Amino acid sequence: MKLKTIAAAGALSLLLCGPALAARDYISIVGSSTVYPFATVVAEQFGKTTGYKTPKIESTGSGGGFKLFCGGVGINHPDITNASRAIKSSEMEKCAENGVNDIVEVKIGYDGIVLAHSKSVAPLKLTRQEIFLALAKDVPDPKNPGKIIPNPYKTWNEINSNLPPTKIEVLGPPPTSGTRDAFVELAMETGADSFDVIKAMKKTDKEGYKALSQTVREDGAYVEAGENDNLIVQKLQANPAAVGIFGFSFLDQNSDVIQGSFIEDMPPTFEAIADGSYPVSRPLYFYVKKAHVDVIPGMKGYLDEFTSEKAWGEDGYLADKGLIPMPAAERKQYHENVAALKTLEMK
Amino acid sequence: MELTANHASNAFPTMLSEEMLEEAEQSKTLATARKTVGTPFVDTPRMTCRDIQVFYGDKQAINKMSIDVASNEVLAMIGPSGCGKSTFLRCLNRMNDTVLSCRVTGEVKLDGTDIYHPSVDVVPLRARVGMVFQKPNPFPKSIYDNIAYGPKIHGLTKNKDELDEIIETSLIRAGLWDEVKDRLQDPGTGLSGGQQQRLCIARTIAVSPEVILMDEPCSALDPIATARVEELIAELRTQFSIVIVTHSMQQAARVSQRTAYFHLGDLIEVGATEKVFTNPLHQLTEDYITGRFG
Amino acid sequence: MTNLLEPGPKLRRRYRAEKIFKRMGLSAIIASLCFVFFLFYTIISDGYSAFTQTYIEIEVSFNKDLFTDANISKADFPGLVKKSLLKMFPEVTKRQDKKLLYSLISPSAAYTMQELVEETPKLIGTTQKIWVLADDDVDMLIKGKYQRDVPESNRRLKDLQLKWIDRLTAEGMLEKKFNTTFFTSGDSREPELAGILGAAKGSLLTLLITLSLSFPIGVAAAVYLEEFAPANRWTDIIEVNINNLAAVPSIIFGLLGLAIFINFWGLPRSTPIVGGLVLTLMTLPTIIIAGRASLKSVPPSIREAALGIGASKMQTVTHHVLPLALPGMLTGTIIGMAQALGETAPLLMIGMVAFIVDVPGSFTDPSAVLPVQIYLWADSPERAFTEKTSAAIMILLAFLIAMNSLAVFLRKKFEIKW
Repeated sequence: MKLKTIAAAGALSLLLCGPALAARDYISIVGSSTVYPFATVVAEQFGKTTGYKTPKIESTGSGGGFKLFCGGVGINHPDITNASRAIKSSEMEKCAENGVNDIVEVKIGYDGIVLAHSKSVAPLKLTRQEIFLALAKDVPDPKNPGKIIPNPYKTWNEINSNLPPTKIEVLGPPPTSGTRDAFVELAMETGADSFDVIKAMKKTDKEGYKALSQTVREDGAYVEAGENDNLIVQKLQANPAAVGIFGFSFLDQNSDVIQGSFIEDMPPTFEAIADGSYPVSRPLYFYVKKAHVDVIPGMKGYLDEFTSEKAWGEDGYLADKGLIPMPAAERKQYHENVAALKTLEMK
Repeated sequence: MELTANHASNAFPTMLSEEMLEEAEQSKTLATARKTVGTPFVDTPRMTCRDIQVFYGDKQAINKMSIDVASNEVLAMIGPSGCGKSTFLRCLNRMNDTVLSCRVTGEVKLDGTDIYHPSVDVVPLRARVGMVFQKPNPFPKSIYDNIAYGPKIHGLTKNKDELDEIIETSLIRAGLWDEVKDRLQDPGTGLSGGQQQRLCIARTIAVSPEVILMDEPCSALDPIATARVEELIAELRTQFSIVIVTHSMQQAARVSQRTAYFHLGDLIEVGATEKVFTNPLHQLTEDYITGRFG
Repeated sequence: MTNLLEPGPKLRRRYRAEKIFKRMGLSAIIASLCFVFFLFYTIISDGYSAFTQTYIEIEVSFNKDLFTDANISKADFPGLVKKSLLKMFPEVTKRQDKKLLYSLISPSAAYTMQELVEETPKLIGTTQKIWVLADDDVDMLIKGKYQRDVPESNRRLKDLQLKWIDRLTAEGMLEKKFNTTFFTSGDSREPELAGILGAAKGSLLTLLITLSLSFPIGVAAAVYLEEFAPANRWTDIIEVNINNLAAVPSIIFGLLGLAIFINFWGLPRSTPIVGGLVLTLMTLPTIIIAGRASLKSVPPSIREAALGIGASKMQTVTHHVLPLALPGMLTGTIIGMAQALGETAPLLMIGMVAFIVDVPGSFTDPSAVLPVQIYLWADSPERAFTEKTSAAIMILLAFLIAMNSLAVFLRKKFEIKW
């Protein structure tokens, strides 16, 4: 049976290898699911307004995207990868190993991570320290600040008496998600640093510090839900006590039923994220394989479309979809970089 | 006495049987003796079997049997369950080949050719030695196709007319023609049990075999259908050699010319039917036909 | 003597046990029916509205000055739409308000104009009333999925826009119509433009590959193993492995497909051909196991009958056993196909979880499949995709029901009774 399978598959592969090896006439994009809703809008716009085919965009996650992107040069490898974080030096090395040397980095804007909940209750006002206390697995003992104990907090008012007496119940992304990475880094780590005990560990016990500041509690208070999922919005509506963690665009699209919590007294609004006063926000990027720019039809057009003011500008269509634009000077800088195909330097 | 070894050739069958008679008289007292008594060999055999042994894995099912099948006779095989008569029957057209663990030794000749010879093909063999099974097993096709299948695969006909003729004659000989001639395209599985069995017989004779093996052909039929099949067997004897395995001693007495009695893997006694039933040579045969066991 | 009229306590106990058993069975059936009903109810009540879409009628004057260029596509169609809107609402003058006004209409309106003019260039110079798609926010409002009573700052549609929408509705220039776009186009990031055709066709192409490979290979393997293979240790090992493969998580097949079909053979990513090959690997064990089971269920008397009149092994199998086993094999195959239709995990690995706008035309065009489309839409932030998700699930269920009915029909048709 196996022989037959292999023979049949082999015959088929021979038949099909012909067209497969011919040139690809569409752009292949992979990468972050956070950038996906923005990249797809640009791709569709590009496909509809030019004669080129609409680029194909896979939602693989930032890490998965880099893995594919750095696989090599050639039509079987993607041309562009989206990322919700900057490329790591280890990924640059991997790329270089496979002959992908010239990479153009394009920052496209910012994404705020919000804690949102139902409109039927008063907005939560949190600090990053409180977020850490609510979500970390182990926290400093409130009675004896030098001692680390398993998280004892069950309701919000146990952390701060000004907070409501409701159960801590947070729906958030799973560990594979870029949103989770960014949330842990931007909200929880900063929150952890506000305790001297933990901050001191940063120098003495790096591993211990990491485990303490980045481990999310597993006793049921934090529920791993899908990332950027319409279902979370429905759950939040049904349960006013629950809080959800997701990208700003979800809040933006559902602002009639859910509201964002204040963090450090800043509401998660478009303006607050754009000017950097809302603390939990991160830049979004895409990376272009320079060797492909002249090979794959439409690459230049796509880059132009993405970096044009009508797309990523303050009134552009990406802003309508929830992308927080960069300041004008930064946009200009990146637009020029792209036009000149300025590549990244190996660090 | 090594009957089979001593009398590998049957040049003097009458003499042999007289000798055997004497010896059998003596052996009647020895209930344990398992040598064949009676007249296993005939003058003009169609099939000859010598020293047949059948093993299923390590288990021996048949122990050194030798017997002839004459032309134009009905040979009945009787014996208690598990005595090996069906297994033996299946050696005659190599149906045992399909049983993976089954091993047959000895010699079976059809018109002088050893059917277990490596270069013998079972396909033409089974066309010459046909078989009718215990349970009627028509193909789930039309009556016509059931009978046409054999001639078709053996390439016996050149055109449709010839095929139609074979089908008609087969059905007439099987005594089924009048009952089904108007509905040849109806499914064979829609017939009654007795009709199905006669259809299976018609299917077997459509390929003009020399020998027909019947494995308890009436055990699934009611008495009236059984009577019809028995009549049919009597008619078929004029053209074919028939070997029939049966559980019914009455049936053996009614249809057969010779009867063979099997017991626990041994061929105990072979003889003219009348003789076996009225004056058996062997104690075991007598016990069986008088209903002491079985 | 036991009394026939009054059964003793022992018999009563027996009857009671029987009654309880029957009730348990019945309540299990009722419970599962409730779940199925609940599933269908939520999906249909969420999704039925996706089959209509809100359209707005605008009056467009195709002025000759706009089409000076010989190439029609160069004309400023978005501008044309905006001008037409302003003509309908002459009171709108402020820049901010104009932007709000423009956002009532789907960006696709410009493409609609372009297509119209390219089809019938005679339109140039005339004034036409044209129904164009409304924006998804307007659509959601009309379908009652947005609340009007929240403060303006928290609404996607502002008070001014609500006023305009109410006026258009009153004048009969805003209507819900049957959503043909949903059935005729591929994916889109604009909910009002998103369609299921691309994914449905992708599923069809993928399943065609899967069926045309897995059915013959699966049947041949089953026949060989059941009818011809010698019973030895190798056959046992193969059998155990096939049974194991049937239980392997499907993502493993995706990884295998990625390693062999894409990285080794160099087949293009995200295409039905690779998807079909991977799903073939996944469904083969199911088909082989079902095939062997249905071969086993063919009564041995049929084999004996054929062998008894001198059919060869091969003739016995092809003339008698296989036709009788075929209905069962077909059922197994269709169940395998239905499984393959609902699979996303292995396709993730080979890049079929992707945003693909163009409807695939061949086996080597990138394409998504139905369950992937459902996943991608469920993941999209726009509210309007919620109903599209449910609608896509309805399409997938329709596909599944059609396939399973086909299985029942084939079985009934070819089933032979004895």
